[in-house]
Amino acid sequence: MKTERLVELSLLTAAALIMFVIELRLPNLTAIPGVKLGLANIVTVYAVYRFSVKETFLMVLTRVLLGAFFSPNFSAVIYSLAGSMLCLCGMIPLKKIIPIDYIFVCSIIGAVLHNTGQLVTAALMTGTTAVFGYSPHLMISGAAAGMFTGLCAKYILKRLPKKFKRRNENEPDEFT
Amino acid sequence: MTKGVKICILLICILLVSSVILVIIFNGKSENNLVEISQDGKIIYTIDISEKNDKFRIDSPDGRYNLIEIKDGKIRISEADCPDKTCVKTGWLRSEEIPIVCLPHRLVIKFADERGKK
Repeated sequence: MKTERLVELSLLTAAALIMFVIELRLPNLTAIPGVKLGLANIVTVYAVYRFSVKETFLMVLTRVLLGAFFSPNFSAVIYSLAGSMLCLCGMIPLKKIIPIDYIFVCSIIGAVLHNTGQLVTAALMTGTTAVFGYSPHLMISGAAAGMFTGLCAKYILKRLPKKFKRRNENEPDEFT
Repeated sequence: MTKGVKICILLICILLVSSVILVIIFNGKSENNLVEISQDGKIIYTIDISEKNDKFRIDSPDGRYNLIEIKDGKIRISEADCPDKTCVKTGWLRSEEIPIVCLPHRLVIKFADERGKK
């Protein structure tokens, strides 16, 4: 991995972590478990469209594991891990058919998958399927949060200075 | 807009519409009086909430607690030391499909299955 790329990935991981920590301080306004804005996922969406598969996975994994140190309860890391991995598995193939202008579509699907992963984890942790009663609420909130993160990622991708963008769009990814 | 994007948007719309319908259906009030409280997948209490008002404490294995309140045939978590307090905010248990969950303590309160009563 080029040093330049490594630095870029680390900076983004740090930015995602900061957003994650800020969001932890915000109180949960709803009475539905699992409803979150997912600010840190702006970086995830951005990374999916900008980096190779391996780099994206590495970055998200690092963010989730480091995030565990700031989390009030350690079990939260299992939820984020399941959610974010499922989300990436859905979004990475989708970026092939969804152009950057419609990135929010990809991000909505990612957010819905993220919540699905967390619901399945919650069902396994509590040992009951009763938690699935919240799935329609989580689908709606996921779609709203995904729309927001997707639009944020779109504007970041479009407005970032040229120097920061991959110089040649046809340049092959190093790790794919 | 390419075909792929259109299909994705269509899928999202279907998902959202069905979710809204489900939310409305799930919002109905349950007439059931039998409530199950489970922790770590094991049912620890089965209570008839119409019998008497009650307040009791459930300690989770890692030393944390939830205070359960039963009043006028309704049940809720009145206090807990979990970090998010979502279970307290959920309020009274009313719907058959939507349980009260305290994820950090792996505690679930829901109406018992009608079939299970027999």
